Amino acid sequence: MSMAVENNFINGIQERGYIKIGLPPYNTPPAYYIDPKTKELSGYDVDFARKLASELEVDVKFYRNSKDFNDLVRRVGAKEFDLAMGKLGTTYERLFNAFPVQYMKLRHAILANRQSLEKNDLRSGLPDFGDRLKNSSIRIGRMGGSIWDTEVRRVFPNAKIIKFNDWGEVKEALFEGRVDAIYRDATEIKAIVYQDPNLAIQYVPILFEDELTMTSIFMSESGKFGFSDFLKFFIDREWGEIKNDSAIFEEFQDYYNSLSKFQP
Amino acid sequence: MNYISIVFNWLIATLPKLRRPKNFFLIILPFSLLLGRLASDYSVLLNEISEGLINLIAFPAIPLVLSAVMVSIANIFSVEERSKPDRFKFASRFGVALACVVLFISILALLLSIYQSPGILSPEGRLNIGRFMLDELDIRIGGSIVESEPTYWFDSIIPTNILFDASNNNTLKVISGSIIAGLAMSRLSSEKVKPLINLLRSINSISVQVLNIVLNLAPLVLIFVIASAVTKINSQIIVTLLNFSICVFFTAVISLGISRLIFKRFTTRDERLLFATNPIDKIFLLALSTGSSMSAYSLIFDTLMKLKRDQAEVEASVSLSLLVARLGNVTYNVIAIMFALNLYEVQLNPLIMIEVLFFGIATGFSTAGLTGVTTIRTISLALSSFQVPTQPVIPLLMVIDPILSLPRAATTAVLATAIGLIASVGSTRAGETVDAGEQIHPIGLDPGIIGAD
Repeated sequence: MSMAVENNFINGIQERGYIKIGLPPYNTPPAYYIDPKTKELSGYDVDFARKLASELEVDVKFYRNSKDFNDLVRRVGAKEFDLAMGKLGTTYERLFNAFPVQYMKLRHAILANRQSLEKNDLRSGLPDFGDRLKNSSIRIGRMGGSIWDTEVRRVFPNAKIIKFNDWGEVKEALFEGRVDAIYRDATEIKAIVYQDPNLAIQYVPILFEDELTMTSIFMSESGKFGFSDFLKFFIDREWGEIKNDSAIFEEFQDYYNSLSKFQP
Repeated sequence: MNYISIVFNWLIATLPKLRRPKNFFLIILPFSLLLGRLASDYSVLLNEISEGLINLIAFPAIPLVLSAVMVSIANIFSVEERSKPDRFKFASRFGVALACVVLFISILALLLSIYQSPGILSPEGRLNIGRFMLDELDIRIGGSIVESEPTYWFDSIIPTNILFDASNNNTLKVISGSIIAGLAMSRLSSEKVKPLINLLRSINSISVQVLNIVLNLAPLVLIFVIASAVTKINSQIIVTLLNFSICVFFTAVISLGISRLIFKRFTTRDERLLFATNPIDKIFLLALSTGSSMSAYSLIFDTLMKLKRDQAEVEASVSLSLLVARLGNVTYNVIAIMFALNLYEVQLNPLIMIEVLFFGIATGFSTAGLTGVTTIRTISLALSSFQVPTQPVIPLLMVIDPILSLPRAATTAVLATAIGLIASVGSTRAGETVDAGEQIHPIGLDPGIIGAD
């Protein structure tokens, strides 16, 4: 019975001749983004999807027209795509919409204005800095329609959380002093200072070793039964283990080092 | 085995010669720079060796400080040996001299910082600093890497138990405890305190000898410290922090000039004729070339004794100035605070400048008992009060500290001499005459000794 379901899902893709991959509607290098030179969709998530398609001997079609991360997960659960990927965090709410297969774990991080931390009496040298920061009432910017909405409220219960439509707006709010810090995963936070090292004087990345987001590839119920074992096997074969942000920094060191020249 | 013995003997014979100032510039400095360049892949090893050697050299410091301060305070304030006006005269001379020199040199450092503007950087300079900070200065929470701030003057000055403080290397507490104990001893009859004084003098003499032995390693320490710094220092950062470094070096040169003036003002022509060369220059060069103000202790002591100053007053004023006042650190901290304020574009006004002076002096004094780069952390208190982030400033300063610790030590040494000259003026050793070539070392050391920065 199980084998028949599995064959149906994979057979369906193979009969169609291409696999439908949903991606978030953003540019998030080095995971998924339009390369400014080639104007082509690039990134390690995109490469992963292409290799997966090649393994299935089919083409790949990417869909980037979801409203936000949450909408993308909802749509894959509704079978609008075969898989949804693009650094999608695994949350309890999303489990109602689709089924995850974990492929990365990323540290939570904030980029904080150093002087705002000092004004809020949050000195990094203090032994209880972590607890003081988490219980502080600083203003934190976050992106709407993403897991960070719930995560930032959980980690910073007393902070003033301000929602913005996209990541660009969140960063702008920090640089204009409308928020004291912005919240996302370590790869996105560190990319900001890599992009403009000048910012490191005024802003500091704070990485939470004890707060991890499990990043998954999502699929529908039929995908879970027909494809998840194959996907886990494929992840294990291609990546060896579940990647963390340190591995991503190391693997894409050249990319991060070249960010200051990168013009998206 | 024979080769090892030959190399060992050669080292024993050669290392003391390397402690001469000219050898620092001709041999140690070029060799260290070369070693740092050639052994750039071994920075961790070089760093470990230099830290180990620094710890070895600092090891007799606590008994030395404890005995020197206790004996000198007990002598100076001895009810039996000195009249009340005498005690008051010295205390007020020392206090006034210290206050005047501290204020004067701090204001000069501040004015120099305003003129030279360290921390006001070009876009290229800011980019260099930003690049340096990229991977070095993330804050990690929940892991094991959270740096703890040092304890400050206020927390660490009150002695708890002098033996406990000594065994825990709390030098500041040892100094304050020794001052209190010395004052208590001065109020007791000499019969009661004589056994303890004798014991302390023995401890002091032994510490001096230990120091003499380990100080032969001073050239090796410098070689490894500089080489280790060269492997880590980014040349772009050095250029970016050039204004800051210039301020620190200029302050040292100004301190030399002030000390020379004080030497001229507080000695007679005949007294100056006792010296073939200006002793202030020798003290300056010795501290500069060893990176340690304590290295000049013996030379300062001998200089003042040659001027027939009172031994107890010389011991007290020089040891307290060198160990506690730390004027090189005071001026350095004033400049470092100005650097941080400029880097974070804090608007300067007269009130802020007064605060800079206050914090520069307070944090400079709080470096008592600290060595090397640990002294830099003391400015955290000042930066926090100005709401300027500590974390990026201190690692930046640490990068160039192996170089700047040299003028800092020289500043402390020459200004301690100046304070000693003023504080002991008018005092004479009753019934003693000292020839030009005579050397006295009661709590003194041979020239070329290193103890603490």
